[in-house]
Amino acid sequence: MRPSDKAKVRHRRLVHVVLIALSFSLMFIGKADLVAMRDLRMSSNDFLAPVIDFVSAPIRGVETMAEGIRTVASLRAENVRLQAENDLLQRWRRRAEILESENQQLRSVTGTVSDENRSLITARAVTAPGGSFAHTILIAIGNESGIAAGDPVVTSNGLVGIVYEVGRAYARVLMISDINARIPVMLASSSWPGLTIGRNGEYLELAFLPAEARPEVGELVLTSGHGGILPAGLAVGRVDRVDGDDIRVRPAVEFRNLGYVSVLIGGTEGVDRSDLSQGSFFTPLPIDDDKRLLEGVNASGTRQ
Amino acid sequence: MKDQQSYFEKADFQSNLPKQFLVMFVAVLLVLLEVGLAQWPFFYGASPLLSLIFMYFIMIYHDELMPIMTVFIMGLIADFLMSDILGGRATALMLLSYAMRVGVLRLQQSDFMDLWVGFAVSCTAVMLFQLIVFTVVHFAVPSLSPLLFQLGFTLILFPIGFVMMFSIQRLLQTLQVMR
Repeated sequence: MRPSDKAKVRHRRLVHVVLIALSFSLMFIGKADLVAMRDLRMSSNDFLAPVIDFVSAPIRGVETMAEGIRTVASLRAENVRLQAENDLLQRWRRRAEILESENQQLRSVTGTVSDENRSLITARAVTAPGGSFAHTILIAIGNESGIAAGDPVVTSNGLVGIVYEVGRAYARVLMISDINARIPVMLASSSWPGLTIGRNGEYLELAFLPAEARPEVGELVLTSGHGGILPAGLAVGRVDRVDGDDIRVRPAVEFRNLGYVSVLIGGTEGVDRSDLSQGSFFTPLPIDDDKRLLEGVNASGTRQ
Repeated sequence: MKDQQSYFEKADFQSNLPKQFLVMFVAVLLVLLEVGLAQWPFFYGASPLLSLIFMYFIMIYHDELMPIMTVFIMGLIADFLMSDILGGRATALMLLSYAMRVGVLRLQQSDFMDLWVGFAVSCTAVMLFQLIVFTVVHFAVPSLSPLLFQLGFTLILFPIGFVMMFSIQRLLQTLQVMR
């Protein structure tokens, strides 16, 4: 072996060791959630997102074509189904109008302040979760459009997640199915508060329900509005299975077919958003036994 | 004074650098394709690890074309885009490439079934490493079914990917001979 070859081998070994050490330390530096790392992440997303968009164009094309073929094959059956659904929706619309008017009257009587100062901005989902370790999506909208970390992301069916990293032209959304997502919710029919916890899978776990709560399969789960980040009343999902303390919720949104999403901007004036990108979206209930919260349940979960 | 011997060394006329760049380009493209594939509802949350198949093939037959820097960049881009723990996949892939360099001669002489088994072990090791890191960092275990689906589908795709890459390799060799 020539001396220069020996030097090359030494140099290569050194590079191996340095890169493995760097990569290993990145795992801890990344977890420390430094501002620089966050900026690096978003810069890389801003840079790579258009490339992903370009690369995945054929995939989207194939999917659209397959969807078109499926739709054509079932056109007649779909038409019948849609007509029936339309009739049902017409009835629901009338009912909703009555309820809305009734709701407005009750609000005016009780003097409730309505939280309607949010505006809606729609964006395309550029990516979908590709791995089992994180459920996040990139959306084609950034701080140029005025969105900020903590803004809720929704579709017409319900809550998708929360914006947690914002770049110049792209933002990353933490989906409610991610293992780091904790959404303060309440059961629609009984108003018991709880938390949904993502499992990086298809379903969410409903936890921290008071012992008195009796969730039923099919019951709607809505955001409770605790913490002030998420508005109350967004559909999160429906109770899918109740097995003792193990309560499973199926998300209201079909995440597999996310094409476009809407970001709710504003409405969190006065809420401290400085810590949002660290995943602390949920403000824990204060441990104060005397304080009465929802439905007369205190922070320890006992009924008063 | 510079060592006299170094003046008489042969110039590196056949540098691998352009080929290494090409391999890096393809590897990064495959990572992007992995991310893109997730938009297909079938692969939601568990797109197959195409880049790992590519890396496995190149490491066996052309390891000189895939320096560890390529593996690092490949892993890091995947970590960035999939929002995984930064450096998780990069470390796993680099450790795998290191292990493969040690046993590359044995792998080169293996038949296809052994290579497939070897790939299954490698793929499982990479995922297991990421799972352990994830569990340690988050103190929680993610849903395992998408992980198993991802593993299973990657293993199913391995023969197809392998045959495709073998064909491309043959084609390139033929073109080289003709030239």
